[in-house]
Amino acid sequence: MFNKKICWFMLILILLVVAGCGPSDSTNTEGTADDATGETDKENSSENAESDGDQTTLTLWHIETGPSKESIEEAVERFEKNNPNVSVDVSQQENDPYKSQLSVAMGGGNPPDVFHSWGGGWLKQFVDSDQVMNITDSVDESLYNEAALSVSTFDGKVYGAPVSMDVVPVFYNKDIFEEYGLEEPETYNDLLEIVETLTDNDITPFALANQTKWTGSFYLMYLAERIGGPELFNEAFERTGRNFDDTAYVEAGKKVQELVEMGAFPEGVNGMNYDTGQSRQMLYTESAAMMTMGGWLVNNVRDEMPEFEDKLGFFLFPSIEGGDGEKNHVVGGVSPVFSVAQQTEHSELAAELVNELASLETATDMSNNAGSISAVNGVEYEDPYIKEMSEVLESSQAMQTYYDQTLPPELAQVHLDTTQALFGLSMEPEQAMAEVEATAKEVLKE
Amino acid sequence: MSRLQEISLDTVHVRKKKKNKDTWVIIGFIAPAFIIYGVYVIYSIFMTFYYSTFDWTGIDANMVFVGLDNYIQLFQDDVFWTSIQNNFLLVIASLLTQLPVGLIMALLLFSPIKGMRLFRSVYFMPFLMSTVAIGILFIFIYEGNYGLLNAILEGIGLESLQTAWIGKESTAIWAVIATVCWQFAPFYMILFRATMVGIPEELYEAADIDGASGWQRFKSITLPLLKPIIITSAILSVIGSLKYFDLIYVMTGGGPNNSTELMATYMYKQTFTNFNMGYGSSISFSMFIIAFIVTVFILLGDRSTRGNG
Amino acid sequence: MLKAIKGIPLYLLALFLFIVTGLPFLIMFLTSFKGQMEFMTSPWSFPESFSLDNYKLLAELQFFGYFANSLVVSVVSVIIVILIAAMASYPLARLKFRLNRPIFILFMVGMMIPIHTTLVPIFILTNKMGLYDSLFGLIGPYIAFALPISIVIFTQFMRDIPKELEESAKMDGCSHLRLFWSIIFPLLTPAVATVAIYNFIHIWNEFIFALVLTNSTQNATLPIGLREFYGEFSVNIPGIMAALTLGSLPLLLVYFIAQEKIVTGLAAGSVKG
Repeated sequence: MFNKKICWFMLILILLVVAGCGPSDSTNTEGTADDATGETDKENSSENAESDGDQTTLTLWHIETGPSKESIEEAVERFEKNNPNVSVDVSQQENDPYKSQLSVAMGGGNPPDVFHSWGGGWLKQFVDSDQVMNITDSVDESLYNEAALSVSTFDGKVYGAPVSMDVVPVFYNKDIFEEYGLEEPETYNDLLEIVETLTDNDITPFALANQTKWTGSFYLMYLAERIGGPELFNEAFERTGRNFDDTAYVEAGKKVQELVEMGAFPEGVNGMNYDTGQSRQMLYTESAAMMTMGGWLVNNVRDEMPEFEDKLGFFLFPSIEGGDGEKNHVVGGVSPVFSVAQQTEHSELAAELVNELASLETATDMSNNAGSISAVNGVEYEDPYIKEMSEVLESSQAMQTYYDQTLPPELAQVHLDTTQALFGLSMEPEQAMAEVEATAKEVLKE
Repeated sequence: MSRLQEISLDTVHVRKKKKNKDTWVIIGFIAPAFIIYGVYVIYSIFMTFYYSTFDWTGIDANMVFVGLDNYIQLFQDDVFWTSIQNNFLLVIASLLTQLPVGLIMALLLFSPIKGMRLFRSVYFMPFLMSTVAIGILFIFIYEGNYGLLNAILEGIGLESLQTAWIGKESTAIWAVIATVCWQFAPFYMILFRATMVGIPEELYEAADIDGASGWQRFKSITLPLLKPIIITSAILSVIGSLKYFDLIYVMTGGGPNNSTELMATYMYKQTFTNFNMGYGSSISFSMFIIAFIVTVFILLGDRSTRGNG
Repeated sequence: MLKAIKGIPLYLLALFLFIVTGLPFLIMFLTSFKGQMEFMTSPWSFPESFSLDNYKLLAELQFFGYFANSLVVSVVSVIIVILIAAMASYPLARLKFRLNRPIFILFMVGMMIPIHTTLVPIFILTNKMGLYDSLFGLIGPYIAFALPISIVIFTQFMRDIPKELEESAKMDGCSHLRLFWSIIFPLLTPAVATVAIYNFIHIWNEFIFALVLTNSTQNATLPIGLREFYGEFSVNIPGIMAALTLGSLPLLLVYFIAQEKIVTGLAAGSVKG
């Protein structure tokens, strides 16, 4: 009896609490903007608000954190100031689950008006599904770095505006290099010598956490480019020449395994996770000397162990003797890219919001506070490190965008899986490349 | 005489009315649960099967009906077979560790140990920790270079066993399975304990008078009375293992080289990473069928042993 | 004498299990007092100083809002689940009717469907009901997916209750509802405790429905709130551990109460047996 009473009592109590919370939430969101409507029909007002034209609400999903999140928020504030009748509902999502979340929202028919992407194959999937709005007419293409804009341009139509870019150099610990008399390598053989010296001294040459898969992919991309030249990937991707099972790719796979066998990577790389910091940990504790990683490593360092930044130097992945690639061809990528959902009811406003998010102001903000290279032309860099990085990018003759973001998702997955298997020495390079090529034949046939 | 007749008529009447009333009682009791369950779960199961007959990315309006093609493709999919194999490893490991360990912990809680309350709380901790925390901690514990497990092995002189536990294809699946079992054993502990507290003390007292040893007491009183809950636990454990997802996703993501892929993680990958909603749904529905068949087998097996005994 | 010797290995076993089950929680707890740098450089050491920075950060990030949301969702869902699951189990366990077995199996079937395929249908459903991005939108699926296991456990326990009790009550002209409420339900305390703990923990830590069905910060539950600690390619592990240590306190509390309840509940309901 006693139990029962308590249960009912709690149930009623909680329902009251919830009921009490419900309306007060909507007052928070609507109240400020919608003071004209009285207290009484608050419930209706939330529905009317959108159709009235008095007050429009746009939703924006992004995945920026820390200072770049603030840059986004400031951009939204500027947009709201210019458009007093519009309020933007900003949701910051978590990188990994974001992908599933957006898929469900798109498929379920209730996507955000403006959303984040990385361009490339992933965005293309949504474009092909008729879920992304063509914003060619509202975007000023001349504002943006050509390479950056290209990741969201398909068939000459623009589907998204880029804000920032990253390049992938090889970071190293200057102290360790000094201690063993090592110098930044010019050629791949120099690099192999460095690897040897370090392993002889019980230092892991490369900190790599390859459970995350894209981390290991950097090595394969660079080696393939250095052997096969900058056109290798494009030919394979566009099906206009060499393929993914080309000898250059097989050779690159062999070189990866050669490095693994030399002990260039930590024990059990495939079980280590970049996000939880397992490879950075090795850098910080100086048990590893180098890491091939995107420029965001610097942000990670500033967050986690600021004093380590002094020891951090970088060089570009060296060229291979006899290969077609060059040292100043870089691997890089674009993030964030903002796009408008096809299902939006406010296409013009959404496109305007995209322009504000990818404006010179936002890009400047982000470059200087969050340490990324701007995808918008004309930014004055304050951060010396970013300045150096952007010079690298400007002087590079070719930029290879990350395979896993450029390729269609299914093919990207096969590339990542087989590359991971190469690192685990559980697959022969020929077999790995043949598998990628087989999937490519299927997925890219058109 | 007439009075007697009246009474018997009355009882007939009552019985009929009662049967009618029983139907309404049954409906009344089951309906609230059934409605919510039907709206969300049965609907979802139906939709899963529906989607599985289409070639569909999950994000567009273009659904192409392909009949059972997805299932045919699934039968030829090596990764799917690897994942089934891993799922059954997990099922067997769960049955062999979670249930016995849960039982041992539950029994320990009834033994006259000092500080029983503390033990009771701590034993339960793995189950109340969030999977996120468990995943992160165990990635570090299993780590090959400075992981806690390797340090402990070194401490007790077993350096030869040291390895990168989740970095190697041969050990990864076992490392994750061990973690899953570690997490779920406490749940069976409380399930068994809840049953054991219901066993009347008099039964044990009678056994004590007969001079039964602890083992005899366990074998002749506790175990038979626990049998129904053990069967239930086995079903829960098998079904749970067949659709397991969480820790694999956090710890290995199905890698290295698909060696820890489970049906659920593979389904997730196909559905959300590769945009194959139709194919992913066919994996889900196959999981559903497999779990259903296995459960029916357990129930039938249970019934037949009951029939013999 | 014999008993004492026998007690030692028993105690050792108990201690061994104590360490194995308790150590990760202890590590989580200790990690929550470290800075990111300290964790990176020495993950296993004792914290240098018990800094409360991570907990202060939680307050700054308004984790108490997430906490409150989780609490509301979990408590409401668990109470409703217990009530309706126990009710549904009553006829399934105690009454004979033709559809008994099929209905029981139909309920059980719900445990077998992987949660992730249900996301799209349930997302659409929730939108149609107008419950998208509200706590109520979460409670529905939480209850629905908690029902199978709860009904299985309740039915199991109810079958063990001796028939005589019920029959004597029936003789007294007790209705089914009264019978259920005043005789069966109080005897179910251990099962209620078990079901409550299981579902509370499950719902408290639930991630994927919360991710897909809510969107705004004011409706985020604790597992979703953790995203505050994720960078694009990094995780603030000590911060997460602080949030999760704090987040496990309600669970510990529920567990304590439920476990004590089993003992006292049984003493009160000792009519049985």
